[in-house]
Amino acid sequence: MNALEVKQLIKHFNRREVVCGISFCAEREQLLALLGPSGCGKTTTLRMIAGLETPDDGEIWIEGALASHGQKAMISQKQRHIGMVFQDLALWPHMTVYENIEFGLKANSLTRAERRKKIETVLNKVNMQKYAREYPGKLSGGQQQLIAIARAIVTEPRLLLMDEPLSNIDVKLREDIRQEIRRIQQETQITTVYVTHDQEDAFLLADKIAVMNNGMLEQIGSPEEIYSSPASLFVASFVGEANIMQVKIVGKDRVLTPWGELVCNTKSQEGKNAYLFFRPHQATIEDSGYCYGTIINRSFVAGVYKYQVSTNGIEFKLQGQTRHDIGKFIKFSIRKMDILFF
Amino acid sequence: MQKKLTLGFFFTLFLATTFLPIVWMFGNSVYEEGRFSFAYYRDIFLTLKYGKVIANSLILATITTIISSFIGVPAGFLLAKTNLPLKKFFKICFFIPLIIPSYITGIAWVNLLGKTGFLNNVFSQYTMLSPESVSDFIYSIYGTSFILSINLFPVVMLVTEYALKCVNPRMEESGLVVGSAFQVFRQITLPLIAPAILSGMMIVFVLSLSEFGVPSLLQVNVLTTQIFTQFSAFYNEKAATAIAFPLIAITLVLIILEQIYLRGKSFEILGRSSSNSTIQYNITWLNVVGITFCTFIQIVCVIIPLSTLIFNTKTIAAYHDAILLARNGITNSILFGSIGATFLTFIGFFLGYLSENIRSKLKSSAAIFIWLFFAVPATVIGVGLIKLCNRPEGIFQFIYGSLWIVIIGYVARFLPLSSRIMSNYLKQIPHSMEEAGTVTGTSWFRVLGNILLPLQGYGLIATWLICFMFCVGELGTTILVYPPGHETLPITLFTIMANSPTDVVSALSIIIVVMTLLPVGVFLAVSKYLIKFQTAQ
Repeated sequence: MNALEVKQLIKHFNRREVVCGISFCAEREQLLALLGPSGCGKTTTLRMIAGLETPDDGEIWIEGALASHGQKAMISQKQRHIGMVFQDLALWPHMTVYENIEFGLKANSLTRAERRKKIETVLNKVNMQKYAREYPGKLSGGQQQLIAIARAIVTEPRLLLMDEPLSNIDVKLREDIRQEIRRIQQETQITTVYVTHDQEDAFLLADKIAVMNNGMLEQIGSPEEIYSSPASLFVASFVGEANIMQVKIVGKDRVLTPWGELVCNTKSQEGKNAYLFFRPHQATIEDSGYCYGTIINRSFVAGVYKYQVSTNGIEFKLQGQTRHDIGKFIKFSIRKMDILFF
Repeated sequence: MQKKLTLGFFFTLFLATTFLPIVWMFGNSVYEEGRFSFAYYRDIFLTLKYGKVIANSLILATITTIISSFIGVPAGFLLAKTNLPLKKFFKICFFIPLIIPSYITGIAWVNLLGKTGFLNNVFSQYTMLSPESVSDFIYSIYGTSFILSINLFPVVMLVTEYALKCVNPRMEESGLVVGSAFQVFRQITLPLIAPAILSGMMIVFVLSLSEFGVPSLLQVNVLTTQIFTQFSAFYNEKAATAIAFPLIAITLVLIILEQIYLRGKSFEILGRSSSNSTIQYNITWLNVVGITFCTFIQIVCVIIPLSTLIFNTKTIAAYHDAILLARNGITNSILFGSIGATFLTFIGFFLGYLSENIRSKLKSSAAIFIWLFFAVPATVIGVGLIKLCNRPEGIFQFIYGSLWIVIIGYVARFLPLSSRIMSNYLKQIPHSMEEAGTVTGTSWFRVLGNILLPLQGYGLIATWLICFMFCVGELGTTILVYPPGHETLPITLFTIMANSPTDVVSALSIIIVVMTLLPVGVFLAVSKYLIKFQTAQ
């Protein structure tokens, strides 16, 4: 049984369809990342799961129970047992860290001592024990982040929803908090849905990634699948560095490229235009290469030379360990098995 | 469900106190002896009997708006865009005329420019003006506009200052790189804040159109005073209602025109909160002109009226007499003001919440609908409430004969204002604060009590004090609805004005000024600590 199942979910805002019948599921104890550009409908989807927005159509199943069917909420917000971390964290400034965490527990019929025990446990989990009596305003951005997570998981929710929680913090801190999120999620084993527009967050944290675009689900799969076998041109271009160029299929497994005719598996009909896709690291600069071009720009990033190369005005990216000068004519080969056509 | 029921209840309360009396009143005015009749309206619109009165009202509102803008826009500019010495002091002083009830400023200027007034003597001795012509000026439509401009220019000033502070400094900086400061102000800043200034002018126009106190004091025949006369002198509430119709119609048309004009116009200044990082003009001559201008305005609008009242009282005995005369009024004003302000803050919170949380499409319509009622003249509300409550049935009879009719009057009059203030405070709290509470599965009442209300602490106190201030100074509705023995301070003042010595009237005016200024003073003093406390958290 999946912890979360979303079926044909639809939502309109001002007559515009922002979520267009998407379906996906999250397995128990896993972290599913909803990845996509701004405005693609991922936050709306998350808010519908939380019960903060009413779907126009579709179903949401939580732990095998129908939570929402069409516009009708079958399970109330309280019974959904959801924890949520908001983009702006939404820590209540007039309450101490302790009171912030305690708020959700008061809804359950727990004694004061039981509440105290749970709060202490969760603060231990996020290593924030000594800040219990502080107000959120006194804490650093990273500490606030951890308190927001503690507040969300203290009720031991069946589902933890995170709405771009790292978007407002700087790069260095981001790395640390990301590791903390992964550790906490693995320790607590709470099924988590994590919304982000940052592919680094998605790839480093998620067991499974669902890529969204224009309210639709483009692809769902493991990080490896999403990176190596993108299912659509959008996924290919959105995730990782990509070279995409228009080519013509001239015969069975024969393609007309800027470098002449190539023989490779195209799966496309003869005479049609298609997009050829490969990643920079899938090409090797070598004198025996069957492709060619002139280096028009070069940069050195993290021990690797990155080149911008032009062939008859068509530009693409390559990389390698060897330094070549700008203006140099080079030859290179692309691993044919890595080339994809859309 | 809890949320929907609560909000529904408070919206119904708003409809019952504010909307229903007016609709009831208009309904009654077109229903005569068992059938529909537009006789009273025909009287107004076809016989042109009231043409002069309507014209007077429009002239009064237009002149007041023009003068208020000529003072308010430069004052707002000076406060926002220059390093004027004593800027904070001027800002606080410019607030005072807005806080003091306008009829008090009127009384002060009548004392000065009336036939035996000090300034009248000075003018007639040192200029060609006769004492009658000076006195005629203050008792004219122009004198009324002058007093109302003193009272209302701070509205334009505040709007201008706020809009200027909201303009993105990058917009101006990118202009300053290639053009002069004057050119940037004229071609970039001014067009950006023009819609905001227009809104401020609109508020002044509508408020002066619906003003009752000053025209009544200066015996100027406008629509609001006509409503009062028709109702209290001739007991003809249907004619009073018919006269109110053009007022409401003009206001409605103006608000609709403003909305059409403003559609998509408030570009750059929206979405950015007021900031102190605005571009400042440090030009010596501008500072000299500015300080001269501000001092002059301060003398005319604050120092002269207040010092006149203080000098007129002459002795402590005058205060003693005034307190003896108005003992009942003072107690009632404090009691009614406190109850009224509490209701207004509480209901205003929920209405503000409603207009902030309603679906985006309806949001502006809901806000306009509620705000529209602020433009309804006080006398119209008074007539409507009497029409609705003056009946023999139990609850109505109880309301009509007790302090509650005055409280309902306050609520009907100022609820649009309190809900607007509350909605502005609520805007500052991100929705996620509430959502973080609701996802825990907690009831909405707990979210309300533990999150929304405590986060609004500062806003609630501010709203309460502003409402108290307005309630204490309220005249137009109270004068019509107050039951015997329940008169408030402004009513006492209006009653004794005709046959009491000037020093007692002035002393009573000073007491009203103190009662309205005191809460603001307390708030300014306390707000520093409140803000410190909040930032400490």
